[in-house]
Amino acid sequence: MRLLEFQAKRILAQHDIPVPKSVLLTSTTDTAKLTLPAVLKAQVPLGGRGKAGGIRVVEGAEEAAAVAAELFNLVIRGHTVQVILAEEKTEILNEIYLAVLYDKRANVPMVMASTAGGVDIEQVAKETPERIVKKHIDPFIGLQPYTIRYLARALGIDDLASFDAIVRQMFAVLRGYDATLVEINPLAVTPSEFTALDAKMVLDDKAAFRHAELFVALREEQEKLDKKELTLAEQLAKKGDMTYVLLDGDIGLIADGAGTGMLALDLVRDAGGHPANFCEMGGLADAETMCQSIEVVLANPNVKALLITLIGGLTRMDHMADGIVQYLQQHEAPVPMVIRMCGTQEKVGKATLQQAGMDTFDDLPEAVQAVVRLAKAK
Amino acid sequence: MAILIDENTRGLVQGITGAVGSFQTKIMKEYGTKVVAGVTPGKGGMEVYGIPVYDFVEEAVARYEIDAAFGFVPARFAKDAALEVIDAGTPLLVLTAEGVPDQDMLTIINYAAAKGTTVVGPDTPGVVSPGKCKLGVHPNRVLLEGHVGVLSKSGALSYEVCKTLTENGIGQSTIVGIGGGPFWGLSQEAVLSMFEDDPETNAVVMLGEVGGTMEQQAAAFIAQHMTKPVVALIVGRAAPEGAQMGHAGAIIEGKEGTATAKIEALKQAGAHIAYRPSDIPHIIKKLGA
Repeated sequence: MRLLEFQAKRILAQHDIPVPKSVLLTSTTDTAKLTLPAVLKAQVPLGGRGKAGGIRVVEGAEEAAAVAAELFNLVIRGHTVQVILAEEKTEILNEIYLAVLYDKRANVPMVMASTAGGVDIEQVAKETPERIVKKHIDPFIGLQPYTIRYLARALGIDDLASFDAIVRQMFAVLRGYDATLVEINPLAVTPSEFTALDAKMVLDDKAAFRHAELFVALREEQEKLDKKELTLAEQLAKKGDMTYVLLDGDIGLIADGAGTGMLALDLVRDAGGHPANFCEMGGLADAETMCQSIEVVLANPNVKALLITLIGGLTRMDHMADGIVQYLQQHEAPVPMVIRMCGTQEKVGKATLQQAGMDTFDDLPEAVQAVVRLAKAK
Repeated sequence: MAILIDENTRGLVQGITGAVGSFQTKIMKEYGTKVVAGVTPGKGGMEVYGIPVYDFVEEAVARYEIDAAFGFVPARFAKDAALEVIDAGTPLLVLTAEGVPDQDMLTIINYAAAKGTTVVGPDTPGVVSPGKCKLGVHPNRVLLEGHVGVLSKSGALSYEVCKTLTENGIGQSTIVGIGGGPFWGLSQEAVLSMFEDDPETNAVVMLGEVGGTMEQQAAAFIAQHMTKPVVALIVGRAAPEGAQMGHAGAIIEGKEGTATAKIEALKQAGAHIAYRPSDIPHIIKKLGA
């Protein structure tokens, strides 16, 4: 879960990392509360907000109200702006990039820093990689003072004590909140101290069980404040156990593995078909997940034919067949279905489907050809 | 020979008393795998298909030589279960759990490295050396003993490819599921290196997918170190950017993560590119491997 900027800053502030004084605006009338000049920032969980016109500096009260009204009418990549973070303008001497995250190659935490703050770090990495400093943190000894001293020297920082506290707290947040990224970009050097001008924080959804209340509270807050238009299929998928990605074609796809789900996508496209979605049920799918997945995929009115491709290891074909039959008992199948079934308990699964009047394919390319043909015929 | 496991491997199953653990243990045993002990906390003293169950890994290790542990433990308990296995000095750990927190995975990987345990996974269907040993949940009908090594991020995709190989009479030396990421105990590069050194493997099939840069690292390894032919299939050519495609690691962020970039890197490295499973038997037959 990527947090909204103000959520990330609230956590940083709780850990004594300085952030600008701010108020949250949910309507244009709230602008009366502002200390001017101020920076108005649309709260959407996306990069490139500034370029999309989501960050504006305002000097006077009338301007503030007008700009706030414009921002509330802004839609950034499907996200309508529901809340604005209004911050007091900070006097900036210098801007630094600072992040703690995990190095996926070395399998250890690391601190990443650059004197090129305030810009897209990917761009810095590509164009001037020498401006990025990376230091690994050995998980057995944790973050040590010499690492922070090294970074401070590389960044030309004089106030070592304040910098040390910020890096330490960022690392504590990474570990303590099961974050996968804690990024301050830029960290402003001001005449008096450091200030986190923008913050990005990504929490590891897989660790939600350790932070039940906190993660739920953050998500609920976000859902209230970040409205994204979802189709019926996407809404249903959010409640289920499957991964669903909406695409713009007319062939519905369901697979019992991520790799075979992507393979089905590629094969359908290669055969001249147009996938309507990607849907993967995960290794531990049961009959209920199977039934729900069909409901999700067929909630998309563009779907003209459905391909269910199953090759079970952990997933049991007897359970999958039960799920398909359960769907057919509860609904009138609105589109033709092509089922490829193979693997663990396939004999039982195929027999169950046969009894329900459903034939199955064993060969995936043949099943793909069949579904593409059916979609084109409709 | 084969890699990681063979006919002499003695396995321990963690979570053996659960519905999935006991069902899959039965299938592994029927396949001929030597499952000598099981562990489930609080269930010590039970038996599952004649296999004794212990409360602790160290109790099992005190009684039997254990070469490999196979875990059917839910993600939230995976760290504890894995560290217990590593602490007991088990040389190989296969971690099936999907959804292990990143932080836990890093603790497991670093502790395993310090203690000398090889970790396969997480989110893996396991490892099979057909005809010898199966520490995995792969459907038996797709397996055939032979000389092609298979490594895959995706379990189901490896079944799909092995089905095609087997139906074309091409057997496999070992099939390794490395898991869906975004962190891996064994990388593609590490498994390629094992296959390169294995006298029973003549060629390798590598199944990759969108997201991350592991395939590029594998390509660099292929270019520098592999003398055996590598056939590579990368799925997700039709995947959109920025969407999580089922696996935690399968998300295209930037050009390097696209299937096109990975295919290009592997092609440059001298790998033979397959675009669909049915291409693979043709390529292997042509290579005479």
